[in-house]
Amino acid sequence: MKTVKVKKGWSCEKIAGKPSSEVVDRSAVSRVAAVPVAIPFIKPRLLVAEGDRVKIGTALFEDKKNPDIKFLSPGAGKIEKITYGPRRVIEEIIILLDADEAKESFKTFQASEIAALDRQDLIAHLMAGGMWGFIRQLPFRAIADPKATPNAVWITLGSADPFQPAAGVYLKNNQSFFDLGLKALERLANTVNISWFDTGSKQEKHDIDITPTHRIRGGFPASDAGVVLFHTKKSPDENQDWYMDGQDVVVLGKFLQTGAYPTDRIVAFSDGTSDGCHVKTRMGARFKDVAAGKASPDPARWVAGGLFSGYSGTADTFLGFYETSVMVVKDPHQGEFFGFVRPGFSKLSNSRTIMSTFFSKPLPADTGLHGEERPCVNCGYCAAVCPVNIMPQYTYKSLYADEIEDALKHGLLDCVECGLCSFVCPSKIDLTDFLIAARRRYHKELQQGV
Amino acid sequence: MFKQLENGLRRAFEKNRRHFAENGRLEKFKPLFEAVETIFFIPAIPVQKAPFVRDGIDLKRFMSIVLLALMPPLFFGIYNTGYQSLAASGGELRFLNILTSGLITVMPLIVVSYVAGFFWEMLFSVIRKHPISEGFLVTGLLFPMTLPPTMPLWQAAVGISFGVIIGKEVFGGTGRNIFNPALTARAFVFFAYPAQMSGDAVWVAARDTTVAAVSGATPLAMTILTGSFQTLEAMLHDAGFTLTRLFIGNYPGSVGATSAICCLIGAVILIVTGVASYRIMIGGVVGLLATSFLIGIFSTASLNPWANVNPFYHLAAGGFMFGIVYMATDPVSAPGTTVSKWIYGFLIGMLTVLIRVFNPAFPEGVMMAILFMNLFAPLFDFVEIRLHMAKRIPNV
Repeated sequence: MKTVKVKKGWSCEKIAGKPSSEVVDRSAVSRVAAVPVAIPFIKPRLLVAEGDRVKIGTALFEDKKNPDIKFLSPGAGKIEKITYGPRRVIEEIIILLDADEAKESFKTFQASEIAALDRQDLIAHLMAGGMWGFIRQLPFRAIADPKATPNAVWITLGSADPFQPAAGVYLKNNQSFFDLGLKALERLANTVNISWFDTGSKQEKHDIDITPTHRIRGGFPASDAGVVLFHTKKSPDENQDWYMDGQDVVVLGKFLQTGAYPTDRIVAFSDGTSDGCHVKTRMGARFKDVAAGKASPDPARWVAGGLFSGYSGTADTFLGFYETSVMVVKDPHQGEFFGFVRPGFSKLSNSRTIMSTFFSKPLPADTGLHGEERPCVNCGYCAAVCPVNIMPQYTYKSLYADEIEDALKHGLLDCVECGLCSFVCPSKIDLTDFLIAARRRYHKELQQGV
Repeated sequence: MFKQLENGLRRAFEKNRRHFAENGRLEKFKPLFEAVETIFFIPAIPVQKAPFVRDGIDLKRFMSIVLLALMPPLFFGIYNTGYQSLAASGGELRFLNILTSGLITVMPLIVVSYVAGFFWEMLFSVIRKHPISEGFLVTGLLFPMTLPPTMPLWQAAVGISFGVIIGKEVFGGTGRNIFNPALTARAFVFFAYPAQMSGDAVWVAARDTTVAAVSGATPLAMTILTGSFQTLEAMLHDAGFTLTRLFIGNYPGSVGATSAICCLIGAVILIVTGVASYRIMIGGVVGLLATSFLIGIFSTASLNPWANVNPFYHLAAGGFMFGIVYMATDPVSAPGTTVSKWIYGFLIGMLTVLIRVFNPAFPEGVMMAILFMNLFAPLFDFVEIRLHMAKRIPNV
């Protein structure tokens, strides 16, 4: 087992409301949804219409670019509503659940059968079974290219973000499914790396009965597959490695063994208080069902997928395909009086100009910008936290001048979209957003073969 | 009481906001309204894009830490200016008198610098429709602190105008300038009005009209003015400039830049809060000491008195500490990469000594040294970024 220590980053332990490892069952819900808009790089084509009846595992939409990649229904019932956003982007496909849910059935496999299976057949089975979307490809984090053979597949166990589900929790009683999923992944690539984020908790070491290949230490986002790859890669051939979250490997194993599309999800929930916990819920559950009627601050923002790289909505927004955390944070409603001269004992910060940095007490997060946008003054705070050694201030400037070649040499594609550069910026520049937009543009150009 | 003030202000801003909004009567002056409002309230702007949590620091906070770090040299400067003035004109050296005298001399310079500079800052913001940047708060205070106390106010106004317009705004405003605006302003007045910026008659502001011009040479200048001497240390000592006195800074000189000790306190504040680069500061001090030490070894003949001197005299005398702590560390005009910061600082220290030793026409070298290195900062960055790129495993 190799130990990878990531020096740069920021400890999310400073944010109050870390969810406890207790698991609460809130899987009795009335509605679930698929959220195509939260899956990057796909062009969804709807296969159902409002009013249609679907089973668990019925294909809801497919990717126009590769129609073999299907996305299946996480619930059985009637399609209540399909909501659209700007430019008719499909936001949510909401399903009103039946009391007794019917399931589509798929072929089942034992471990020995998987080992004997043809690689192409396995891939076809995973695509038809809605599993392929869970496997993603660096550096763009798009869904893996089924025609490619990667150098390695990375499984990330646990997260440096304490607001994501703990590996020990979702692996409990699911170890056999994980092993089966692992078998399947071994058919896809010659190397399967298991990178385990060591939180330092003894309990977790005890709970996990897996031998990881890499042990990761560091602040947020050290656990990210892109960060681990950056710190371990030896050659450019490894840049296109695939990765998958540990919980999705469990889902994959369950799918192969039971022949049904798994709908269970362990989601970490936090509202900034000590009520945070792990919730057993459904894939595509509504935020407020995950919270189970917990009173929220007013005005509040609901964030799925972590504060740093998720998406936000209201209590009625649904969880996406990849997101496994729900957080409720306060929206600011009133300007802070003489905010810039206050010592700042209760403000989250990475900067030593704010007194709270000198203390370890966790502080509540809010969605305030805490300032206004200003020109970049080259303070270098972003470069000091970037986990993959990009100097975001210069990359930002080269992109500003349309020098994409320069930005690529700076390491634009090594960017893991963690959001730390935007977080620390005193000029409040949306650096991460700027870099992500450039990465997506470049991906589009590559796709078009320009 | 505090709460009432807060609510009162909140209401006042809400009431008048519409005049500055779109199609309001004073729409053009929106930057001014915003600048005033944000002094009192950090606006409540909810983040729309990930990350949904942002650091508590903003540029206002960043710049106010620099202002805080400037307070020790400023207070000392006010006291020292008052003291030198009273001592020269034979006034009574009581604390209150000294303070009043100092304030009377220094405050007009600061006020003029802020008002004139703010006017231009405001004008450019209104025309360009962008918010007024906090960086000016620092520039507007740094500039008067580097001036002789006898500086005519109109010249200070012209200087800061040059600094803001040519030093900053022509490049596109905050964050885009290549020279430190405060130093650009000082360089301008230095060359445009040499009579008021150098020599031995400008460093003491005596208000007693019977004393036409008080001769109060700065330690850096006096060695050139005097003819024969044994060693510089002895001569400085004869004139009352012990090393301790040079460090403390109670001698005639520019308003706020004489005290090395106070600059050191400021440096500690800047380094602890992480606002200014310790690499530049340490690099600069090392560069200065190393260069003066080496020159001391190799020059036996007394070419120039400052060639053969205990290196710590270089550190303590003149405005070097002020320059390296507050001016050289301006993040916009300094390099942004790590190794470059060391080199940049080191070369500033080195050039300061070289100018002091080999160019007696400029008794104070740090201003030219920093401006010169400002010019090279982008080159350092360019080279270091190239090297950094070459080290990465390509990913395209």
